Amino acid sequence: MTTSTDPTPPNPEDLICAKCDTPLRIGKVLASYMGQTFPVDLPLCPTCGFVYVSEDLAEGRMLKVEQALEDK
Amino acid sequence: MTHSDSRLLLGTTESVCPECLETVPAIRYAEGDTVYLEKTCPDHGPIATPIWRGLKSYLLWDKSPRHYAGVSKPATAVDKGCPQDCGLCGNHLQQSCCVLLEVTSRCNLSCPVCFASATHTGEDMPMATIEAWLDTLMDRAGGRVHIQLSGGEPTIRDDLPAIVALTRRKGFSFVQLNTNGLRLSHDPSYLAALVTAGLDCVFLQFDGVSDTVHQALRGARLRAVKERAIEACGLAGVGVVLVPTLVPGVNIDEIGAIVEFAKVHMPVVRAVHFQPISYIGRVPAPPRPETRFTLPEVMAALIAHEGGAISLSDFHPGSAENPFCSFSGRFQVAADGHLTADREPPVSCCGPPTPPLDPAPAPEDRTSCCSSAPKADRATVPSAAVARARRYVTDQWTRADTPEPVDPGLAAFDAILDRRARTLGLSAMVFQDAWTLDLDRLRQCHIHVMAPDQRAIPFCAYNLTNRQGETLHRRPAP
Repeated sequence: MTTSTDPTPPNPEDLICAKCDTPLRIGKVLASYMGQTFPVDLPLCPTCGFVYVSEDLAEGRMLKVEQALEDK
Repeated sequence: MTHSDSRLLLGTTESVCPECLETVPAIRYAEGDTVYLEKTCPDHGPIATPIWRGLKSYLLWDKSPRHYAGVSKPATAVDKGCPQDCGLCGNHLQQSCCVLLEVTSRCNLSCPVCFASATHTGEDMPMATIEAWLDTLMDRAGGRVHIQLSGGEPTIRDDLPAIVALTRRKGFSFVQLNTNGLRLSHDPSYLAALVTAGLDCVFLQFDGVSDTVHQALRGARLRAVKERAIEACGLAGVGVVLVPTLVPGVNIDEIGAIVEFAKVHMPVVRAVHFQPISYIGRVPAPPRPETRFTLPEVMAALIAHEGGAISLSDFHPGSAENPFCSFSGRFQVAADGHLTADREPPVSCCGPPTPPLDPAPAPEDRTSCCSSAPKADRATVPSAAVARARRYVTDQWTRADTPEPVDPGLAAFDAILDRRARTLGLSAMVFQDAWTLDLDRLRQCHIHVMAPDQRAIPFCAYNLTNRQGETLHRRPAP
């Protein structure tokens, strides 16, 4: 797991999909919120498409983006 | 009263006599490009006051829908009529959006212009009264009411961080500080304590960029003080709104320079909120037509300063208050200072609650704006217009985070945060005085002041003073 300020995030292949037992890899993901869509690169499972979002990302940048959109 | 043929009658309302504060009938009319409020007191005769210079924008603002929302828990009975019954009474037409708590009547300045008539002597409000205010507000209006700590000068109290913490602990989600910035400019540990306690925004008295202006309005040379206060707020991580009181003959010619100052000090400075002078409390002299500066004149000055890059259509009336009380606009600021109107469509506040960015969890306290706040029951759910006004303030007046990019793959997230940091709010609100008071506007007021006896009184009623300085609701200064 990494933090949003950590300059050296873990290799996604160190993360294993619990369902498919497959190493994750970085891929294009479309995140959407309140009518806006964000193309971002996140670790995902090449087999089932499961997307991994670290706790730090969810409670850091993602939360700030959510708040910025909600307060508009 | 007699009318000339050149008058265009725009409406009828009620006002007060600026001599005796008795309620009197009034009309609004246009003559040429200026809109006037005219009334006649049986004892003191007729008087007409310019209230809006710009008929085009008046007619535009007049088309704005009126959003009324009754007070769910009136605190005073309807008896003598507006503006005597304030508390709020059952005839008030808007809920509380921002509520001022005057935590002291002492001040470390003695400004020639002061709506609260504050002086160096005075008294601090007991903590028990402040706590009772918060409990009363939570009961009547819920935790989404914005709290402004005001005075006097609130930072004269050493226990202000404890008041901020108490406000947060009681469940209020937004706390701003109305201040002259003196203490913030030289006491970083005090400012840090305020921010740690939960302060969201510094509402900074900022009348101009020259010491001449500060000397005229505040009786002190404060240019360097303001600079240091803003720098300190940046270091402490709290957003700043510059609040100039605009006075003809004093600082109208600094409007453009104030905007440029704001641009240079973004993102610490998030907005400029102009307040054309109202003749309430302590003022150098009673008003004359030439000592009035109206909202469309503020917009015209901003448009002229930007050299046509922005226009009247980039400004809008407020959504909750009467449209003639305010305007606001949001602008993207380019690296060269060029402004572009932020034309992102407003997000509907009354749609179904929106799920969080999947799959990130949403914190429990960020529900949709029209659902209940924690501890709030159905009676304290805000009206849609009030909720929208609060949301605007929360977004535009609080600190803007600009994270260092660490991952190019997350650039789309950072772009949203960068955009917010590059957005400057330009807005204004004109308070009413005994000459301009329009009871239609007052009934829609959503900025209220807590009185020591627990009444919530619309700002313009609480601060109303007649020509002799006598008040209707505020206790006279000791």
